[in-house]
Amino acid sequence: MVDVAVLLSVGRHPVSGRARRAPTDARALELALSLPPGRRTALHAGSPDSPALRDYLGMGLAELTVLPMAEGRDPTDALVARLRAAAPAIVLTGNRAEGGEDSGTLPYSLAHALGWAIVPDVVALTLNEDGSAELVQALARGQRRALRVAVPFVATIHPAAPAPRPSAFGPARRGRITVEPVDAPVDTALAACAVRPWRDRPKRLTVGAPGGGSGGALDRLRAATEAKAGQGRLLVGPTPDEAARAIYDCLQEQGMLPR
Amino acid sequence: MTARRRDPRAERATRVVPSDGPRLRLALTALDSAAPVSVRPRRDPRARRADATVQTAPRLRLDWTGKTLAAPVTVPLAASGRGVRAAVEPVLRVIDAPACLVFAVLDRADGALSALDRQVMAAARLLADALDGAVVALAPDGPEDWGALGADRVLPLPAAWSHEHAPESRTAAIHAAIARLSPVHALFPESQDGGDVARRVAAMAGERLFAGVESLSAQRVTRRAGGGARELSCAPPRLMSIAADAVAPLGPVRHEARLLDPVTAEVPTPTLGPTRRLAVDPDGVGLNEADFILSAGNGVTDWAAFAELGRALGATRAGSRVVCDAGHLPRDRQVGASGTVVSARGYLAFGIAGAPQHLQGIGGVGHVIAINTDLHAAMIKRADLAIIADAQAVMPALIRLMRERTHG
Amino acid sequence: MVAAALSTVTLTVLLVGLGLALVQARRWRAGRAAKVGVWAGLAALPGRYLVDVHDVVGRTPFNARFHALTAGGFLAALALSVALVVPSLRHPLLWGGLALALTVMLAGGLMVGYRRRVLRPAELSGGRFSRLPVALTGFSAAFLLVALDQSAGGILPVWFALGLVAVGGWGLAELVFGVWNGPLKHAVHGALHLAFHPRPDRFHDGAGRDTGLRPLDLAQADAPLGAGQAVDFAWNRLLGFDACVQCGRCESACPAYAAGLPLNPKKLVQDLVLSLDDGSDDRAYAGHGHPGRPIGAAVTGPTRPLVGADALIHPDTLWACTTCRACVQECPMMIEHVDAVVDLRRFQTLERGATPVKAAGVLEELRATDTPSGRALDRRLDWAVDLRLPVLAAGESCDTLLWLGDGAFDLRNQRSLRALVLLLRRAGVEFAVLGAAELDCGDVARRLGDEATFQDLARRNIQTLEARRFRRIVTADPHAFHCLRNEYPALGGRWTVQHHSAVLLDLLTSGALAVTRPLAGPVAYHDPCYLGRYNGEIDAPRAVLDAIGAQRREMERSGLRSRCCGGGGGAPLTDVVGERRIPDMRMDDARATGAPTLAVGCPTCTLMLEGVVEPRPQVAELAELVLTATEPTP
Repeated sequence: MVDVAVLLSVGRHPVSGRARRAPTDARALELALSLPPGRRTALHAGSPDSPALRDYLGMGLAELTVLPMAEGRDPTDALVARLRAAAPAIVLTGNRAEGGEDSGTLPYSLAHALGWAIVPDVVALTLNEDGSAELVQALARGQRRALRVAVPFVATIHPAAPAPRPSAFGPARRGRITVEPVDAPVDTALAACAVRPWRDRPKRLTVGAPGGGSGGALDRLRAATEAKAGQGRLLVGPTPDEAARAIYDCLQEQGMLPR
Repeated sequence: MTARRRDPRAERATRVVPSDGPRLRLALTALDSAAPVSVRPRRDPRARRADATVQTAPRLRLDWTGKTLAAPVTVPLAASGRGVRAAVEPVLRVIDAPACLVFAVLDRADGALSALDRQVMAAARLLADALDGAVVALAPDGPEDWGALGADRVLPLPAAWSHEHAPESRTAAIHAAIARLSPVHALFPESQDGGDVARRVAAMAGERLFAGVESLSAQRVTRRAGGGARELSCAPPRLMSIAADAVAPLGPVRHEARLLDPVTAEVPTPTLGPTRRLAVDPDGVGLNEADFILSAGNGVTDWAAFAELGRALGATRAGSRVVCDAGHLPRDRQVGASGTVVSARGYLAFGIAGAPQHLQGIGGVGHVIAINTDLHAAMIKRADLAIIADAQAVMPALIRLMRERTHG
Repeated sequence: MVAAALSTVTLTVLLVGLGLALVQARRWRAGRAAKVGVWAGLAALPGRYLVDVHDVVGRTPFNARFHALTAGGFLAALALSVALVVPSLRHPLLWGGLALALTVMLAGGLMVGYRRRVLRPAELSGGRFSRLPVALTGFSAAFLLVALDQSAGGILPVWFALGLVAVGGWGLAELVFGVWNGPLKHAVHGALHLAFHPRPDRFHDGAGRDTGLRPLDLAQADAPLGAGQAVDFAWNRLLGFDACVQCGRCESACPAYAAGLPLNPKKLVQDLVLSLDDGSDDRAYAGHGHPGRPIGAAVTGPTRPLVGADALIHPDTLWACTTCRACVQECPMMIEHVDAVVDLRRFQTLERGATPVKAAGVLEELRATDTPSGRALDRRLDWAVDLRLPVLAAGESCDTLLWLGDGAFDLRNQRSLRALVLLLRRAGVEFAVLGAAELDCGDVARRLGDEATFQDLARRNIQTLEARRFRRIVTADPHAFHCLRNEYPALGGRWTVQHHSAVLLDLLTSGALAVTRPLAGPVAYHDPCYLGRYNGEIDAPRAVLDAIGAQRREMERSGLRSRCCGGGGGAPLTDVVGERRIPDMRMDDARATGAPTLAVGCPTCTLMLEGVVEPRPQVAELAELVLTATEPTP
């Protein structure tokens, strides 16, 4: 038995731009639903009319509380107040929203304001008898790191966490959306930013990065033209041992082999 | 402060390539007389044809893709070019009375600076130079040549933080340093732990972090938001984290790297317990997360050897659609457009012909090694190292070699 | 005395049987309400039996004969035996008539015995069915002796005759009580099912074919979303399941069963029948189970969950179905297996969100982007930039609207679409496409049980189409063809829809396309399920192949009895593992013809069959073959 609060934001499909479940928030809800049942609070700060909220309810969530606010408002204070009132042991949310500022800083502000610990990039969570929890963090290249944290804490969920269950039409239709009006100030930092549509720009090439040189035009040209074509070599009909040696050397050069 | 004067004539003189031809030849970068004389290689059509000859009997086969047979050619230009640049010692710049300070908070994870750490240094340099300020590098202590990395000041943090996960101590120390030195900007790498500390510092300071800077100038920084659809931009704020490959690393520089007194800061109430790395079964790693993938196609019949090779290499096993259809591997191990699109650094493919759907699945892979019996398979063209051989013969040989190397 | 005994025994057994049938009827009457034309149905019953049922049963002549003999003789014998109640009718002629009827029945019974004991087809169920020949022959032989004796004036001693009546009575009781829970259940339930069938239009007195799924009422918040438990089915659907005679024709036709996937349609229907018993299990079932699934592991009950890891129907069983309708095509009891599968899937998807992972991902992409692959709609024409396809805007009109379907996003199918476009141009057909306004037709969503997404897509597609004027819709995708033609009308969209094979045939016969380079080689043709069984179109593609000079070779299982490629019903997405792959088996059929080319008329079949490891016949779309054959000569 553990009381969990889940913070859910509205995501945006990268192709169509339609509202959807934010991928890591949905994983946070999945994790919350798989914990032993206690009081479950699901919070969304934003428009109560977004169709994506029904998608969260469709995962089997009975009720979703919306703190209504227009875009460009700062939800921090309202969420802190609501979380203080709900007093959950664990707050779960995605490590990055999708469709807003997407900076991943809100959970940190909340944890700081509440005076709770925060653990980012969590993929698994088990509860101990003594009121602490064992968390597993995802690191780059499939590596994992475990740590123990005492409740209450805030955990943000990594995309490598178990995939969320599909959203079903029936529960989505039956689920309740409760609106609790709040005051939210204008987000001045966000308002100070200029906004325009994103345009993909070529990434800066970091040729010779370990050496520190920025490389000349020729280096950049070579990197750009050879990246796809496979700059390696071809061995035709070597003996198995020659082949094995070539593979071994190549893997070692790339730093792929265990040490 | 005045800019260094350039002497075009002297610069040109260093680039003259000694040759007995009638034409003056200049190298692209300055030449060092100690370095071996690098002459642009002349094309020899016959030699090129000889290099491209794969076989002469029963019929002539040529491979013009530039892959050379058996012996790899070391590319002289890239190697010598880099060596030459490093040999020119830049002039030392000392900034005694900076107008302001710019922090570069570096991870120095696993005891070495990452490419992103260097990019953060370059970003800090860019901002500091525009403001006549000085760059302060904050990093776990190490033997780096901070001056060559562009640091005017160095504020060493405990060296142990290179290896241990200590976000709360790091946050407290950086927060204390910010309080003491009041930098105009503090730049963090948008890496996993660096980004974590950046957000903790921002929360503690009650300031906003401009996270994941995608482009940076002294006047404007931008970042991606709105699910990737929008670009936010503003004048550079105090706290920023720099996304990977957003800023070009510095060229050769020499700065003072004056050591500052370390900061001391206590974490009032530590809340995170000690961390430990978990042993990861490579086959338990999701394909989209895997770093090194050993993949099998229709040309693999010896599944015991394939599994053993996976264990020996510590690689995540995967396969083509046909292999998964046949049940040799579970469906979640299928690479391709209809399976998983992978982005591993290394991809070792045995017996994969390279259907378009499969090649779509490995579009983001760093280094591809392919072993196949068919010289004209699409996979061979895609590979960085291609070997025309039977997978069943090569796999046991590679297993033997791995055993020798790990036991020897 | 003997006559009275005989008629009394018969009447008593029949009355008890009636009582048992009424008890039995309570099981299926527990289902949901259904609108049924009772009198019209009853009136149509004999015709449906003689035409529609006979059409199915007649595919195996031996079975048709024994069934006619046994059932005809039995019914006549029962009528005459009951008539013997009236003393004045106990005439030697009546006895002679009874003897004749019983002889006919005995002959039929012996044939049943021969089939069950000697031929022993593997798909037949055992259990109570094994006793069927004994009961049939016992009853008919015993009563036959009595009838012969009586018509001859009564030579046998009375005690012996009464003994024979007792033996015959036992046989009769075995048969009639079987109405309650035995082989003869099918007689009563089958007849009622014919009368109250949920799809009366499928019979000859209706449209002759009715394959579109029925829409769910989603506007009403309390309307059921599919079937999660047995009583969620309408009563006449439960009646249909109860009519199953376990003949195993569906089992022999099912591609999933043949490939060793954990689905046996016969067992699936029996699971639904058995689930009407409370607190029992499926041990009474004596046929083949779902391959690889244990029997007797789950508890039955009309209000227990039907589908689940430890329920009667394992999710893998449910998601292995390709919705190819081969079982429905073969069923002599006119059971609608695919409707049952889709209803079970609807509940899993709409109520429980238990769609298999990859399929759920596709549904999510469909909801977010209106394409199953999550591609941008405005990229549907990327492959045809050079063709400059005319796009039909709202308010405009054209002759032929070309529905491209999801194949337009696939490299392989873009080739066949290109061929079709070139052919239409060559023949001077005035056509246009919808471009970015075309959404996925919703086929996959609907077969996966996501009725909500299907209806959303269908409604918006209908709106788009209603805003434009055209004479007909042409598509190369039988799945889209089926949706637009058979399933959109229920939501208000009615147009003339044609598969491109019919259009190409028109163009070839009218001379708009002239064959310049006849194919001249052997070609095998694979019937897509959604074109053949779902829409009855098996002739046009064949006529097209003949017209371009192909030496057409028929595969094992073709036409309306064709075998699925394994690509329907979202099966490639649910990806249930079996012993073999369905497309591999189908390709074996193609290999057996020796033809170097396998012609197909469906983008899904193309992908599935081309995914079979070489060496194999080359897979060619009809349009591609026609394009080569009609290349203008200089």
